[in-house]
Amino acid sequence: MMIPALEFDSHSAPSFATRLCAIAGAICLVAGAVLSPASVWPYLLLLSYALVGLGVGALSFIALQYIVGSGWAAAFRRVPEAMIAVLPLGFVGLWVVFLAHPSLYPWQGAAHDAAPGLAWFKQAWLSWPFFLVRAAVYMALWAAFGYAMLRHSRKQDETGDVSHTKSNIHLSAGFLAVFGITSFLASVDWIMSLEPHWYSTMFGWYNFAGQFESALAVIILLVVWLERRGPLRGVINEAHLHDLGKLLFAFSTFWMYLWFSQYLLIWYSNIPEETVYFTARLRGWWMPFSMASLLLNWVVPFVVLMTIPVKRNASALTKVAVAVLVGRWFDLYLMIFPSQSPDGPVFGIWEAGMTIGAIAAVILVVRSALGAANIIPKGDPYIRESLHHH
Amino acid sequence: MSEQSLTKTADPAEFVPVIAPGNTYRTISDRIADIVLSKDIKLGWAFGLLISFGLLNVFAIAATYLIYMGPGIWGINQPVGWGFAIVNFVWWIGIGHAGTLISAILLLLKQDWRNSINRFSEAMTLFAVACAGLFPVLHLGRPWLAYWLSPYPNTFGYWPNFRSPLVWDFFAVSTYGTVSLLFWFVGLIPDLATLRDRAGNVWFRRIYGLLAMGWRGSARHWHNYEMAYLLLAGMSTPLVLSVHSIVSFDFAVSILPGWHSTIFPPYFVAGAVYAGFAMVLAIAIPFRKFYKLQDFITMKHVDMMCKVMLSTGLIVGYGYLMEVFFGWYSANKYERYMTWNRMFGPYWWSYWSLILTNVAIPQVLWLRKLRYNLPLVFIVCMSISIGMWLERFVIVITSLHRDYVPSSWGMYYPTVWDWATYIGTIGLFFTLLFLFIRFLPAINIFEMKHLLRHKEHEAHGLAHHPSEGGH
Repeated sequence: MMIPALEFDSHSAPSFATRLCAIAGAICLVAGAVLSPASVWPYLLLLSYALVGLGVGALSFIALQYIVGSGWAAAFRRVPEAMIAVLPLGFVGLWVVFLAHPSLYPWQGAAHDAAPGLAWFKQAWLSWPFFLVRAAVYMALWAAFGYAMLRHSRKQDETGDVSHTKSNIHLSAGFLAVFGITSFLASVDWIMSLEPHWYSTMFGWYNFAGQFESALAVIILLVVWLERRGPLRGVINEAHLHDLGKLLFAFSTFWMYLWFSQYLLIWYSNIPEETVYFTARLRGWWMPFSMASLLLNWVVPFVVLMTIPVKRNASALTKVAVAVLVGRWFDLYLMIFPSQSPDGPVFGIWEAGMTIGAIAAVILVVRSALGAANIIPKGDPYIRESLHHH
Repeated sequence: MSEQSLTKTADPAEFVPVIAPGNTYRTISDRIADIVLSKDIKLGWAFGLLISFGLLNVFAIAATYLIYMGPGIWGINQPVGWGFAIVNFVWWIGIGHAGTLISAILLLLKQDWRNSINRFSEAMTLFAVACAGLFPVLHLGRPWLAYWLSPYPNTFGYWPNFRSPLVWDFFAVSTYGTVSLLFWFVGLIPDLATLRDRAGNVWFRRIYGLLAMGWRGSARHWHNYEMAYLLLAGMSTPLVLSVHSIVSFDFAVSILPGWHSTIFPPYFVAGAVYAGFAMVLAIAIPFRKFYKLQDFITMKHVDMMCKVMLSTGLIVGYGYLMEVFFGWYSANKYERYMTWNRMFGPYWWSYWSLILTNVAIPQVLWLRKLRYNLPLVFIVCMSISIGMWLERFVIVITSLHRDYVPSSWGMYYPTVWDWATYIGTIGLFFTLLFLFIRFLPAINIFEMKHLLRHKEHEAHGLAHHPSEGGH
């Protein structure tokens, strides 16, 4: 059978408003950094970390598809591939935070040496140059794997050579092994060390679960959008949506499982050094935030996606995906802000503008990445299976 | 062969079937049912059963003496109150997990390579749970009062402490055992009917007929069967995760360094699947050779199981790394000491053997060539089985023997009765397994036929024919 030769035209886009939003976001960032630095810097960390999460989540999705030899997702693989392009954006945001406002991390600077209770290992680990070198290493590794896999996938469009798939299978295995360690270290470095005395061995996994869940939600949104706009019409069918819905259901439950395990074990053991994390998050205005995170990250997907027809329904699925992304925002907000403003959440005009700007920037970057290659990886050996997915 | 079936693997040159070509419905029924219905008693089988039964008797002696004397005959003491009994309990429970994963999760994931290995892995689950369940009961000291764990109206006015993870364990394991049994039995019904129809001996016909519960293979039967099987699969799926999560709570809700770690639930689950697959494969390799079932349990199955072991093994290795990293990062002197004590304390040998057998050796599975080398894979499986036992030994013993107060430190030395009980349960496990292989179809006959039909349709480019639905 013929594979439809569809192209994604990035120039026909009504992107003026999107560009305007992105620029407005950047202005908000600059203005906020001057006028309200206490909340804008951690907020930039939140947004950048969220974008990095989308990129590595999408990369993990691709790697998992390759490594398990599954074919159903090949038809829309260009969507997660385009999401990898968000990675540099997140990296830049993180570096801006690290270089412009390092005092976000309380262990950094002169106070560090005098900080009580930090043993030699922690002192060595949490030293600023080492921290920056590690960040560079993580980012370089992820970007290198992402770039290499992207290149093989795009080259295969021209050659149709199965050896590209084989190379990507090997790269995927390597990426997942490397990512397993670096993602946990990155979450410890960038997020957990905001509260340097607190620790939880679950934290790395918990972060990964959130990253993967949010990446799935964005994949769903983009796939449905491309299907409605045309480029993927006739390519995506209900069975693809069904499987994406199942994955979102499964990974939101996985997220909840990790959340619950971490919470239960800390609550039950009741060791003050550990419970301090949750008491801060279940107090005052943080309590509704915690509830919103649980509700949107797990209750909504779990209840709504329970039945088959909903998972096969594009508009229901997109609503759940949006809910999950809002939940992801709450989750990240809860990871970062209680250490910055213990009295309660702060959210003003700058943060709102930055959020819109970040969303616009993601749209611009993903659009241009989608336009850079065929919308369907037509040389992929699994493409026929994927187009026939039922 | 058309493109359709080739798409199942990226490279046609690497295509390995899940059922060898040349088989028909008849050969499938004959070859699997004959193992059960054949009148010959294979010498190898009899010898295996004899040894297993001998070991089972060792267990009987050890358990009898234990009940007579009390747990003082074991090496447990203050501070190591949880010795071999809990190590073995967790080990056995973990081994059961592969069966549930294969039968439930791989079914939901539509993995066709589950079909020939699901039956005996599910049986293994049951036997492993049976072995596991013995240990906490024997560890009670007064095993005849084990029923006190269950909440029931009574005149003593006592009630189990629902805040204790040990009670959660009781519920988790008994639910797990019950659902696994139902799942296994429901899956057996169509095959029991096949045996009923093929059995020559009238008594066998009657027994299999009774167990087949009037199965006639009508459309309605199949419909109900499919629904029941799917529902049980759905119920078993959370069980795969929950049982070992709750077992991990036994440790992790405490405040003991080395036990209280939030990563424990997923890390235990991964370890359980790891150990389970190692045991399934360690049994499948000799089993397929001895009964010449290489057509049904192909190299594809071996390859897939090796990959599952490799990935779960990496997760387990990640768990060890996490412990070490946080041992130092936490800046908590007890955590740090625990990590140091595991590596260089009196039980250093157990830690390093664990790293060798559970992390280092299984890395050979990265290479496809080595995954296709059966003797090597068998050795790796054995290594993992030992490694996963050592993991529980390290967790239980090294954390207990040196806790916060140095004046209460101690050592743990297993006695001959500890070993006898442990080896005895291995005897129980294999006795049950040998009997199972002889008296029930160890491979799912009708699912293999279904698979064959599916593969034939694929080969003829009919993989998407509407009639493909059905069962």
